Amino acid sequence: MSESPYPPVAKHNLARSRSKTRWIIAEDPDWSLALVPLLSQLCLQSIVKNFEKKPILEELGPDHKDFVLERLSPSLPLHLTANLISDDGYWKRCCNERWELCDVSKYGHSWKRMFFERHLENIIELFIPDLTDPKTVLDMAPLCKNYVKRLDISQLLPPIKEPQQAEEEDDSDLTCDSDSYVTSVDHFDFGILLNKLTNLEELHLVYRVKHCGMNFEWNLFEFTTRDCECLAKALKACKTLKLLRLHQSKVEDEKCRLLVKSLLDHPSLRELDLSYNIIGDRGARAIGKLLNRSKLETLNVCNNNIRGPGGQALAHALSKNSTLLSLNLRLNCLGDEGGQAIGQALLNNSTLLHLHLGGNEMSEPSANALSKVLAHNNTLKSINLSCNRLGKDGGKALEEGMSHNTTVIECDIRLTEVDQESSVCINQVVRTNQRKARKKQAQESKTK
Amino acid sequence: MLGFSCSWNTLTFLFMKFSSSVRLPRQELGEGPCEEEVTEEARESQLQVEQSERRMINLQSDGMELVTNIQTAADAKESGQRTEEEEATRLRMERLENEAKCSQQKFEEITRGWEMTKQKTTAQELQDALNSQQQQCAQLLEDKAKLIHDLQRELKARDDCYIKDLKKAAEEEDLFIERMESLIKTLKKTYREELDQIENAYEHERRVLLTANREKWEQYMKDRRNLELENLTQRLNKMEEYEEMLEKLRMEDAEEYNITKKKLDTHVQMLRLQVQQKKASDYLNQVVLDYNYRLQTKKEEEITTIKSQQKRKMAKMQDVMKNLKLKCANKEKQSREETQKLCKDYKRTTELYKHKQKKMRHIVAVDAQEFEDVWLMNEAEVRQLVERALHIDRLIYEQQLGLTWERPHTAFMKLSAQEDPEKPAQRSAQEAASQLIHTGTATQASLGMEEGFLIEKKLPKLLSTVEKDEQMSVKLAAVFSVSACWANFSDVSHSNSTDVMCSCRSAREISAPHEPSFLRVAGRDNSEDAAYWESLAEAIPEVKLKLWDALHDALQKHQ
Repeated sequence: MSESPYPPVAKHNLARSRSKTRWIIAEDPDWSLALVPLLSQLCLQSIVKNFEKKPILEELGPDHKDFVLERLSPSLPLHLTANLISDDGYWKRCCNERWELCDVSKYGHSWKRMFFERHLENIIELFIPDLTDPKTVLDMAPLCKNYVKRLDISQLLPPIKEPQQAEEEDDSDLTCDSDSYVTSVDHFDFGILLNKLTNLEELHLVYRVKHCGMNFEWNLFEFTTRDCECLAKALKACKTLKLLRLHQSKVEDEKCRLLVKSLLDHPSLRELDLSYNIIGDRGARAIGKLLNRSKLETLNVCNNNIRGPGGQALAHALSKNSTLLSLNLRLNCLGDEGGQAIGQALLNNSTLLHLHLGGNEMSEPSANALSKVLAHNNTLKSINLSCNRLGKDGGKALEEGMSHNTTVIECDIRLTEVDQESSVCINQVVRTNQRKARKKQAQESKTK
Repeated sequence: MLGFSCSWNTLTFLFMKFSSSVRLPRQELGEGPCEEEVTEEARESQLQVEQSERRMINLQSDGMELVTNIQTAADAKESGQRTEEEEATRLRMERLENEAKCSQQKFEEITRGWEMTKQKTTAQELQDALNSQQQQCAQLLEDKAKLIHDLQRELKARDDCYIKDLKKAAEEEDLFIERMESLIKTLKKTYREELDQIENAYEHERRVLLTANREKWEQYMKDRRNLELENLTQRLNKMEEYEEMLEKLRMEDAEEYNITKKKLDTHVQMLRLQVQQKKASDYLNQVVLDYNYRLQTKKEEEITTIKSQQKRKMAKMQDVMKNLKLKCANKEKQSREETQKLCKDYKRTTELYKHKQKKMRHIVAVDAQEFEDVWLMNEAEVRQLVERALHIDRLIYEQQLGLTWERPHTAFMKLSAQEDPEKPAQRSAQEAASQLIHTGTATQASLGMEEGFLIEKKLPKLLSTVEKDEQMSVKLAAVFSVSACWANFSDVSHSNSTDVMCSCRSAREISAPHEPSFLRVAGRDNSEDAAYWESLAEAIPEVKLKLWDALHDALQKHQ
């Protein structure tokens, strides 16, 4: 054989042609010699495919279980998966597929909980009374009752009236009858749902329609008396509710009273938020009554219409109360009447930790009353008097009171027209108190 | 806003935890040997930590304030607006009320005008009135329209305001977000910076500590080395000294050792000799002791055998004794029983005898009495007969024969009478003697057995020469004397002896004046009796009888 420096061309061509027929693509990650998957793999794949008809999960071993769970489709019917699959990975996939933003820390780091809560919220938010079948909600209830702890409902749709309005114009005779048929309930009736959700602890409600844009009508933001009655009944039936937040729903005195009536002596309610409504003095009186007949720890009635008498009623309740920890009366119209009453009440109260009285048109007399409180009270931790016209004298009185205080670690007196020096002194006192509190905390953590 | 504040709270909390946790190990280290230095340095880093903490807290609070300022501003605006709103509403309401009042008044005027125009009849007046009414209406309408216009304008202004507010709110929100983000950035940056600083501080501390410790360490090591060298040299010197001393001591010790060894050897030899001697003596003693021991053991054996034998004998003797005792007891019992029985028999028999004697006596007495009676009777009869016979005889003699009668002798009849009083006395003595003999015979019989050995053997021979009765009495006396002696020895014949004593006494009393004549077995002297009756019978001799027969025949012939 002659040795040539160049390889024989013919051979090369032959090799090439051979290599063409047996082309190995080295970059293919899926390529493997195992062209036939394992029988177990095939079985598992078929299980995944037919999971809807035959849900086999518990009988599998851990590895197989993981395999199946990774491949299960997130669009499986919930009645099947709800109580069967408890693996958060699957639910994570479901959540991510459905929603963009998922912050699992808000849901106690449980994807399943997030999914069910958001799913239920979605159902309720898109529920149109008299159009949507309540069965959709009721069917969901048993599936998600173990996982739903909080419902944050950001819109509640009213029943659709437009076509009926047209009818009304034509058949005026039928208006009376159709009225009674048109609206059996004004919004979604929680009564059918709340008593089935046995783990529900928080309920956030807004009776409004989001994204109504230019189709704005006041009746889209109407929280009717009937709604209120249904809600009251539902709340009474829900024995595990800890937080109720009903904001921006034009709740006025009557409705407030209705709600409060049903919440009296509620076994588990801890936090009540009726902010951004139009509650007046009568409502405030009802709330005051509720304060002492329940275990409320947090009350937020900011941005309502509570005036002096209402403030006095609340103060009266406060002086006898020993469970409330935080009270937010921001942006009400308490005035000096209410402010002084609250100041008086706080002299007897030794459980309140946080008090927000910002924007209540209070002035010097309230400042005097509160300064007395600051001097004597040793449980109040934070007090917010911003946006009240306390004035120089008020500031001086507060300074005087704060100088005797050792527990307030937050005192907000912005936009109160208080003297610079008074505010500086007050801030100093606050800072020393903060330091003390920190040291105490550090010591406690050390001893632990 | 709330979420934001929450996250801030968590951040500060974490930071504080970090600082406190960082503080802890430092303080633990501080409890080392070099306390002061370490604690001072720990304070440095701690200071740094505290400083950073303070800075961060300040920064955070300022930042938060800045951010929340927006809300506060909004609140202030809101409250301001509210007051304005209230004011405006109040004004509006007033205005509306006024308007309402005015328009009401005007309307009333107009209606009054209508009333008036109804009264007017002329066209001109009507026209004028109409015009004025029109004007007034127009006025009214104008007012109203103006009001409406004003209100609409207000509404529009409010709408614009609203839009402006919306824009402002949007701006504020943007500002808010911007401020939040900037705050986050600054806080992050400052946290990092502070962390770096704290790390540097710790690092610095560590380095300082390390160098300080190392220096100390070096110093100590050097010192130690020096000390070691010194110690070593000292040690060498001492070693030499000690070696010399040792040598000296060794020499001395060797000498001592030799001396003592010699002494001890001699001592040892002496002791050995003593030991041997003692052994020999011991051996001898032992042999002797062995022998003695063996003897002793043998003796013991013998003694034990003897003892056992003796014991056996004793046992046997005891058995024999027991047997004998038993026999004796039995015999005694038997004898007692027998004596008892015999006594009883004796008593019985004596009683029987007595009884029989009594009977006999009685019978004898009765017989005697009967005999007497019969004798007397017969005698009496006979005497009667005799008398009769004699009478008859007399009669015969006197009547028949005309002879004189003589009475035959009747002296023999007196004999029988004289005998009678003597006989009873004799009879009683004879009876007593007979009694005694009987008892004597009884006792003799009872003492049959005892007689054998109670009485000496010679005695019967002697007694044989003497009369039988004397014999018996002597025997009885001997027996009684012996029995008295015997009674002293045993109680067997107690009852017998009493009986015997009684009989003995009685025998003695009676036997003292004993005379054989008294003990004659003498009953009645019957021979004289026969003669007596014969005499009686012959009271009437046969001659007379023949006479009587002849007479009897003669008389019969006469009759």
